[in-house]
Amino acid sequence: MSETKKIMWMIKKDLLVLWRHKPRLISLFLFPIIMITLFGYGMGGTLNNVPVVVVEQSQGPITDATLTAIKGNSLYNVKDIITDPDKGKQMVQSGQVKAAIILPSNYDNLNDTSQKSIVVDVDSSDQLAASVIIPATQGLFNQISNQIGIQELQTLNFTSTSVASTPQGTNFQNILNSINLQINKLYGNITYLDFLVPAIIGMTILFGCVFGMGEIIAGERERGELARLFMTPTSVSTVVGGKIISKLVQETGRGIILIVAAVLLFGIIINGSIMLTVLLLILGALCFIGFGIMISARVSSQEDFMQSVMPITMPMMFVSGVFYPIETMPWIFQKIAYILPLTYVNDALRAVMLKGAGVGDIWIDIVVLLGFTALFFALGVTQFNRDV
Amino acid sequence: MKYAIETFDLTKKYDEFTAVDALNMKIDNNSIFGFLGPNGAGKTTTIKMLTCLIKATSGTGNVAGYDITNNPNEVREKIGMVPQLVSLYGDLTVRENVYLCADFYGLPTDLKISRADELMELVDIKYAQNKLVKQLSGGMKQKASVVASLIHQPDILFLDEPTIGLDPTTKRVLWDLVEELNSEGRTIILCSHDMYEVELLCDGIGIINNGVLAAFDTPRGLKDTMIKEQKELKSTKDSNVIKIMEELRKESSVEDSAAFDKIKENIEIRNRDLKELSVMISNLDENMLNHLNKLPSIHEIVEHDSGRIVMDIESSDESVNQIISAIITNGGNITSIATKDPSLEDVFMSVTAKKEEEGVDNE
Ligand SMILES: Nc1ncnc2c1ncn2[C@@H]1O[C@H](COP(=O)(O)OP(=O)(O)O)[C@@H](O)[C@H]1O
Ligand SMILES: [Mg+2]
Repeated sequence: MSETKKIMWMIKKDLLVLWRHKPRLISLFLFPIIMITLFGYGMGGTLNNVPVVVVEQSQGPITDATLTAIKGNSLYNVKDIITDPDKGKQMVQSGQVKAAIILPSNYDNLNDTSQKSIVVDVDSSDQLAASVIIPATQGLFNQISNQIGIQELQTLNFTSTSVASTPQGTNFQNILNSINLQINKLYGNITYLDFLVPAIIGMTILFGCVFGMGEIIAGERERGELARLFMTPTSVSTVVGGKIISKLVQETGRGIILIVAAVLLFGIIINGSIMLTVLLLILGALCFIGFGIMISARVSSQEDFMQSVMPITMPMMFVSGVFYPIETMPWIFQKIAYILPLTYVNDALRAVMLKGAGVGDIWIDIVVLLGFTALFFALGVTQFNRDV
Repeated sequence: MKYAIETFDLTKKYDEFTAVDALNMKIDNNSIFGFLGPNGAGKTTTIKMLTCLIKATSGTGNVAGYDITNNPNEVREKIGMVPQLVSLYGDLTVRENVYLCADFYGLPTDLKISRADELMELVDIKYAQNKLVKQLSGGMKQKASVVASLIHQPDILFLDEPTIGLDPTTKRVLWDLVEELNSEGRTIILCSHDMYEVELLCDGIGIINNGVLAAFDTPRGLKDTMIKEQKELKSTKDSNVIKIMEELRKESSVEDSAAFDKIKENIEIRNRDLKELSVMISNLDENMLNHLNKLPSIHEIVEHDSGRIVMDIESSDESVNQIISAIITNGGNITSIATKDPSLEDVFMSVTAKKEEEGVDNE
């Protein structure tokens, strides 16, 4: 009973502080909305109508179907259909198009069991276009191969012209995973904005939770406010528990308001279960709160806290696939992405919000996040320094 | 339970640095104990250990009858603490802060409300109860902090430099409060730099320096020790002078032994107990001075002007009586009278300076 009262006070205090700092309260919601607007509209434009050229070296129903698929996708703006691969490459080099999609000469020959190799020459000097074309094209052909039943269509070679930084030999499975999203874009009506919103919300919660814990643990320790609580007969678990619940209430609330805002302001459609989306928000928030507690458990000031979390949270923002699909990044970043919890939050939120995935589809994400959360909490609580 | 606080080799180390070194103190129940020491001496660290805010590196202590290492929560129930820096939530109002503390001590709602009102009235902060703490002046903040620390009616109250930077009126309010709390039977531990405050309030004093307890006594006891030490120091110095002079006389066979005897006599008189007496007499005149000059208990008139006379007198109660009655019988009109004892400040300076020298020797 008395512990409940203490926890209620910790929640009440944090909410009162927020309420009494109107600018802080406003920027809490303004920040993610500005991010969505800036990136969503700033980048959304370049993702449609990327000029490409298609090189067909055979004729037949499969080629026709492929052409229809490419043309039907708003990502591509098919400038020309030619037959000479070298000319296609030249067009990329001269900047007329961003990519040349070169179909092999045995493309329409169903009797030919040898490998069918599609080559895409990409202008990798335009990072953004390249980063979108590669996975989208990969996915497109994956879809085509499934639908049309070309079993042998397995390998895609991407060669880049101007700059050789395009991921060659990217793990095929990875690409397939990421492409699902872009495929949906082809056949559903998903824009970059839809892609961005779940991850921006994930990222906002990350920063909110981590910095928030820094403020209410490291900051309060520094200002002696934590000492005031520990002066009373109150256990570490009550204080830490109260702080966790308080932050969780705030950040989940913020996540829900942001989702509503995204629906109202940007016309986002949530395809999956709203309930599951909210549960994922809570799980993500818990995980990041745990991270915040782990770091703030032993540091004595907010400054120290910031110094400790910055090297982890800033890269997390860029590597965890908030702005681009992870699979478009260099392999080393991809490996790093898999050890960052934000990656799993983004993946799960996107799967539910965009593809309408259920728990069965995202159970790996959930298990990994639960694991991170348990680890952070265990370390945070055992390491927590009661001395103030 | 005879002692409010007892420590047993209480020690706190920060890495290699020893902030508090094997502290042994016994503080009587229902006393006001002054804890003095220069900045960085280890006062706050000691108080934090006693209030179970930090763990001792070694040693332990009993506070309010409970062991600080094994029963910290029992200790916490019994004590209150006003920290050196006000640590209330700046974005909450005074009343909210007080209620928050009350709930953390598990007070029932009716007690919480009645005590908050009572205490806020007592220290005169109720008029600002709905202001955010960050908007208050230093003195008001300190009052709010005191209210928050008293809400659970602790047996022992720790005050860490509570009156620093406060105006005289606010200081007075806090001093009165300390005396009132003490008269209700509570023990007060007062960390302070303000010698006047300590002298005014405290029954016992501990002086800590470089983490070591350098002196522990009543204010009177400390001063007496100091007077004795000063006298011993003076007399050894003086006897050295006499020795040298005697040797000089032997060697050079100085004839003027009268002059020598005079010096020797002077030194010996000085070594008798002398203290300074300063009297304001509105009608001080030559006649009065002559009379006073004849009194045997007055060793020397140090200075005098139209209304004030300062003299070195024998340090006994009779000598003061004698001088006063002499002034009165000669028609003197005394407006004020003061003797100069060594102040607590002198004791403080001497104890901390001495220990610093010793500390250097040890290293
Ligand atoms: N958390 C800490 N880490 C390291 N040193 C500390 C810490 N707290 C206090 N000290 C050191 O311990 C000594 C005693 O400090 P403190 O008890 O605050 O002194 P006082 O209150 O008497 O001014 C100081 O030298 C101070 O620098
Ligand atoms: Mg101090």
